[in-house]
Formats: sequence, structure tokens, C-alpha cells
Amino acid sequence: MNRYKIFAYIFIAAVITACKPEIDSFEPSAGNADFTKYIALGNSLTSGYLDGDLFKSGQENSYPNIIAQQMKFAGGGEFTQPLMYDDKGFGNKMVLNLNEVKDCFGVPIEGAAPSLGPVLYKKLDPSMPDPRNFQNDPDLYASSNLGVPGAKSFHLIIPGYGMLNPYFARFSANIQQNSILQQALSLNPTFFSLWIGNNDVLTYALAGGEQDSITSAGLFTYAYNLIIESLTVNGAKGVVANIPDISNIAYFTTIPYNGLALTSEQQVAGLNMGYAQLGITFALGPNPFIVQDPDEPAGLRQIKPTELLLLSLPQDSIKCAGWGSLKPIPAYYFLDDQEIAAIKTATGLYNSIIGSIAEAKGLALVDANSIFTSAKSGLIYDGVKFNASYITGGINSLDGIHLTPRGNAIVANFFIEAINAKYQAAIPKVDVTDYPGIIFP
Amino acid sequence: MRKFTSLVSLVLLLTVNSLAGGYQVGLHGVKQIGMGLVGTSLTLDASSLFYNPGGLSFISPDYSFALGGSAIKSFTLYKKSEPSMTEAMTDNPLGTPFYFYGAVRITDRLSAGLAINTPYGNGLSWGKEWIGRYMIQDLSLRAIFFQPTLSYKINDQLGVGVGLVYATGKFEMNRALPVYDAGGEGSVSLEGSTGNIGFNAGILFQPIEELNIGIDYRSSVDMEVDDVTATFDVPISLQGNFPNTTVSTKLPLPANVDFGASYTYDEKLLLAFSLNYVFWSSYDSLIFDFEKNTSALTDSRNPRLYENKLIARLGAQYKINDAFYVRLGGYYDPSPVNKEYFSPETPSLNSIGLTAGISVYPMENLAIDLSFLYISGQEGERTYKPDNFSGTFKANTYIPGIGITYNF
Repeated sequence: MNRYKIFAYIFIAAVITACKPEIDSFEPSAGNADFTKYIALGNSLTSGYLDGDLFKSGQENSYPNIIAQQMKFAGGGEFTQPLMYDDKGFGNKMVLNLNEVKDCFGVPIEGAAPSLGPVLYKKLDPSMPDPRNFQNDPDLYASSNLGVPGAKSFHLIIPGYGMLNPYFARFSANIQQNSILQQALSLNPTFFSLWIGNNDVLTYALAGGEQDSITSAGLFTYAYNLIIESLTVNGAKGVVANIPDISNIAYFTTIPYNGLALTSEQQVAGLNMGYAQLGITFALGPNPFIVQDPDEPAGLRQIKPTELLLLSLPQDSIKCAGWGSLKPIPAYYFLDDQEIAAIKTATGLYNSIIGSIAEAKGLALVDANSIFTSAKSGLIYDGVKFNASYITGGINSLDGIHLTPRGNAIVANFFIEAINAKYQAAIPKVDVTDYPGIIFP
Repeated sequence: MRKFTSLVSLVLLLTVNSLAGGYQVGLHGVKQIGMGLVGTSLTLDASSLFYNPGGLSFISPDYSFALGGSAIKSFTLYKKSEPSMTEAMTDNPLGTPFYFYGAVRITDRLSAGLAINTPYGNGLSWGKEWIGRYMIQDLSLRAIFFQPTLSYKINDQLGVGVGLVYATGKFEMNRALPVYDAGGEGSVSLEGSTGNIGFNAGILFQPIEELNIGIDYRSSVDMEVDDVTATFDVPISLQGNFPNTTVSTKLPLPANVDFGASYTYDEKLLLAFSLNYVFWSSYDSLIFDFEKNTSALTDSRNPRLYENKLIARLGAQYKINDAFYVRLGGYYDPSPVNKEYFSPETPSLNSIGLTAGISVYPMENLAIDLSFLYISGQEGERTYKPDNFSGTFKANTYIPGIGITYNF
């Protein structure tokens, strides 16, 4: 029988040696970059701001923190952030809630299904944020993430910017004197990321083009050059990202120009009579909103399909106070064609400046503008579809401008891709679906 | 919603068997398993009911029975496309296919029998948390085939047979949904059962005593299900978008043609081969029709684009003495799954199978059969394009089997 036992032994041996399948693992490497001291510069997008505020769990999912954790596989060092002490931040955080539906007199409509929408978290939980969130904290001076909400390109080089910006005041090592750039240089980075310039058009856009101003190309170039020169002077390498066009940001694309829905002949007839002299007509169904325009003889007109209404437009004023129909929507709630053109021109200029400086300095470049453009039509990762739609798209957080943690993970992967390509590095990407999306009630 | 696209792939359920390309399990007789799953031309025992009803009438005893089962332990490894550190391994429950065959000789020429077996049936579990959870977390399938069969020996050289197949199947599958509340991620569970009929017809030709030539055709079976229940676990605020509903879908179990020959070299050695052609291209896409549709829950059509494949098998049996036989075999089983439409619901790779087996005859008419099948799913890069899911897959499967045959 011995011969047959051999068969049995061969098979048992095969089972033991080959039991579970194995595949050669991925080997990370830093290529010709050095990630031992990575720092991140930028604005709210870099800081981890989302849902209308900067708060701890959001910061933990900031794209620089995601990148830094992945860099650790390729020789990266510790990465620290100026974390808030809780998830309330400065008290402006929004959450999705099932809200009671009320009529125009503020009386709850009986039997109406609650409506899903964002509310300020402090309305649900009125307890105060941790007071340390508002204080300058020496423990935060060495923070590697120097993203500061609200910062424009040239703000990074303003000495004493901590006096002007409460977010930088929290971790500026010298509030009266430090610029963000100075503080960054004091950390002796070996690698940096810079995503700045969004607010140079966005602050203006968020005011409906009625306040603030677009940073001139001259000032932008000066500031950007200075930042890059200073960061690279000691041989540090880095990655920069350009600016997405505002027409790809949910804040400007969610409310349709023809969102005035007329449902009764009576409404239509009334409006047609009222606007007869101006030659404006209405029909059943969707109609363009009436908006303020001081250049028109009557000071108002219909909004054009190319113009953009802001997400801040109060819906109850539309519904109950006749905004957009009986009364024009104020100019600070929409961007007209001229304002949009000015923003697009500036964005184009900034992006060509960023592109040429990156090229000249041999830096990796993330084309955030194309990423956001492709996000508009949809991105798919591991069976989950994302797009730029407000709330349902999965990328935009509740404020319509900043990214959800999943959105940050997508951005982090694009940064990693650009770094890997430029520096022959092999930083592993993250699984986008490991990060939270919008939380529903 | 694209996420739902491959929600309920019943065929996948059927196909998910990591045993072989598609769902051609082939574990229908422990003797045949030992010989590389070759069976079309063999007349070893009552398992001819399944492999080739035409061969049944060549089995000499008046009554013949075969009963057996296997234990499937399979592992599929997934490694995400680089650059990534992500890997996942299935943690599949033990699969336990079984068979029963009973045949009776009615006249010298006519035999009848009943086959009950589980050609499709397995469990796949990638876990609740893995990277592909929005496509599949786990599923289980149990399909049982009942096949009453008649076999007629036209003359000493030629036998024909035909069986009517009634197939019944039951499945459950789970997948995650990308919606979240404070408690975590949403999910959907699908459960259904169905049945349909098909047939199995074969011819066995014995031009000379040493040579058997067999050909067998097993029809496709369209498993139509219109009462799959879909149960959603989603945030309260989204329950209106994901109503619990029924789903209908259709599962084409493809037709097969087997051609095989076996040669009795001498009184000890039997050699056999077979070619198994599977008409997989009938699995073009998977369509889900939800009875209740919402903006988030729409009907979907998912490309599968399977390809027809030919499986080649070789096997040998050696008789040590009247009481002891050994067998060896192997086969190459190319995956029918399109490399760009490779869903982790059906991680079917190009596979090499190696087999061995023994039979012990404690009595002249009683055999105890043992088999072992090792399947190596060849490492390969695969993508499921519609879900932008890609990586490298590799699989190992181990299947010990045991059976008895009794004739009188």
C-alpha cells in the first residue's frame, strides 16, 4: 500500500504549502522626493473645513492629512494639525435634519411629511463649543497643516495675518508678526503642498459680485512667486493645485435660473398683468426668476439661463415673500453674466500662472479645475458614483463649497497621483470609500 | 442608480462558484472527479445519468445507486490596482454539493433512473467591510436539479438517453449601499427562489469494446424570478427612496455540449479525455426590474458580456487489483468572464484543476470512492469597468470528495 500513501502525502503537502493564494505586494517608495517633513499650505479646503465650519473630525479627514498618512508608507514623518477640541468648531457647523414643514405664517402644516434639509447644528444642540477652539494655543504652533479658512493668495505673505483671521490666530506662533508663509518656513519642510487662489475669486462670488474684489493677476503672481521661491529655496519639493471654475461648484449650480414654478393660471395671469409694461411674460411651469438690475429702466429683469443663483438664496422668501416673482431677487444673491465673465477670466489667469510657475520650478501640478469639471458629469470609485450635485453627489459637503471626507479622499488621490508621476514616487492611494460621506438623519 | 446595477445577479449566484469558469461545477461523481472531471464517455456507475444518459444503458447491473458529496474550501484574493496597499480575501463558508443517482434496468435495452444533484450552489463572502462591498458582500445559493431519465441501447454499439431537468434554486445576497446615518452604512438584502425546466440528452457509441465515444447536450435553463424580495436598511430620511419591493430578473444558465472518448488500454489502465463547450455568450447582461421605482431606485441593465468557452479535460484510472483503483486527472478551464467586466460577484479566473482519487471495493458490488480536487485560479488583472473597480485576483480551491456506489 505504500505507493498509494505517496499520493496522499503529495496532496497533503500541496494543500499545506499552497493553502491561501498570495500576490506580490505593492512596494511604496519616495522616489526622488523626501517626505520626512511635509507641510500643507492653503485655505479652507486645505484646513479640512466642511459643512460650514472647521471642526475636529473634518480636520482629521483633510486631504493633506490623508496624503500625509499615505506618505508614511514612503518614508513620511509625523503630520500634525491645528485640531479643534470638538466637532462644534466655531459653532457654524451644519447637519442634515428632518425639519418640520411650516406654512408662510410659521405654523406647522399638520400631516406634512418632514422635509430633509441642512440646519445649524447648534439649533439641535445649543451647548457651547469648547472655549479652547477660540484661543491661541502654543501646542498648535508646530502644526504641519497651515491651511487657513478664508485665506487668499496674498494673505499668506501678510505679516501678522493672525490679527485678521481667527483661524490663523489659533495657531500662529506670533500673532502680531508671523505670516503664514513665515511660519511654514520655520518648520523646515522637505516637501510642501500649496492649493491657494480659490478665495481670490470666491469671496467676491459668494457676495454675488456685490462686495469684495477679485485679486489682480499682478498681485496674484507676486504672492504666488514669493511663496514658491521661499519654499523651494532650500531644495524642498512640492505639489501645487490650480483653481476650479465656480461653475463646477454646487453653491452656484444648485438653484436653477428658472426655479420659479407657477402652478395656477391665476398666478400666471396676475404676473403677466403686473409685468405687461416691461414685456415680461410668464407661463405655467418653470419660469426664470425676476432679479434686481440697476442698469435696467425698471431696476429689474428676468434672470438669464447663463447667470448663477447662490445657494444662500432664502427659499422661504421665494415661497412666501414673492421674491423672484412679485419682487426682484437682490443682486447679492446671484452672479450676472459680467460678474461670471470677470471670475472666469481671473480663474484662467491664475491657473496659467500656477501652471507656468509649477513648470519652471519642476513642481508636481494637480489640475483641480479639470477634476472638478469631470466631477460634474460623474466619477465612480469602487462601485460608488459621485457627482458635483449638492447633497446627493457625495463630494460637496452641506455648505455647497467644501468637500466631504470622501471628496477630500478623491482630491488626496489626485495629489498622490501627481506627486508619484513627478517624482517617480510610489505613494499608495487611499480607498475613497473608507471615508465618510454625507450623514443623513 | 448605478449602485444597484449588479444588485441581484442570480446568474452570478449561480456563477459564483469559485470552482470553475462560470458555474460549471462538475462535481457529479467522485470517480469522475478523480479523473479530471471527465465523465461523458465513461460508464463507471449510475452517475452516467448526469454525464451522459446515453451511457446509462451500458451499465450492466439491474439496480445501481451512487451517493456522494464534496466539501469545497475556496479562497479568492483581491489586490487593488497599484498604487494601493489594499487587499481582501474571501472568507467563504464550506460548500457542500451532493448527488444521488438511482438507475434500474427495465429490459435488456431500456434503463430508467433519477438524478438529484447540485450543479450550482456555493457561498461567497468578501465580508461586510471590504472595498468592493457596494458590489457584493456575500451571497449564498442552493440549487437542486431533479432529472428523471430514460436510456435505450439501440444495439451493442450505440446507446441514447434523455432526461428531463427540473431545477430549483434559492439564494440570498447582501451588499452595502453608499448612504449613511449615525449608525453607519446602508445595505440591501435580496432573497428569492425559482424553478424551471430543461433537458439532458446524450449518445454513447462503442465502436470496439475498448473505445467509448460520448456526446452529451445539456440545455440552457432560464431561471426567471419575478418575486425576489429586496429589503433595504437605509437612514430614516431616505426610506421613501428605497422602498422594500420585489425585483424581477432572468438568469440564463447556458447550454453545454460535451464530447469525450475513453480507451481501455489493458485490463488495468483506462484513459479518457473530454471537451466541454459552454455557451456562455447567452449571458450578455443582467437586467433588474424593480417593481417600485424611485429616483434613487431605477431599473438597470448591467453588461456581463460572457464568452463561450471550451474546457479540456484528461484523466486516467489504474486498477491495482479487484479491490483497489487509483485515478489522476487534470483540466484547463478558461474563464468565460470578460476581463473588463469582471465583477467580484463572480471571481472566475482561468483555472487549472488537478485531481486524484481512489476506490476501494470491500465487496464486489460496493465501492467507496475518495477524490481530491485542487483548483488554481491563475493570477490576473481584472476590471469591472462600470464600477471603476480593478485589481489583481488569484484563487485556490480545495475539494475533497467521498461517495459510495452500490449495484445489484
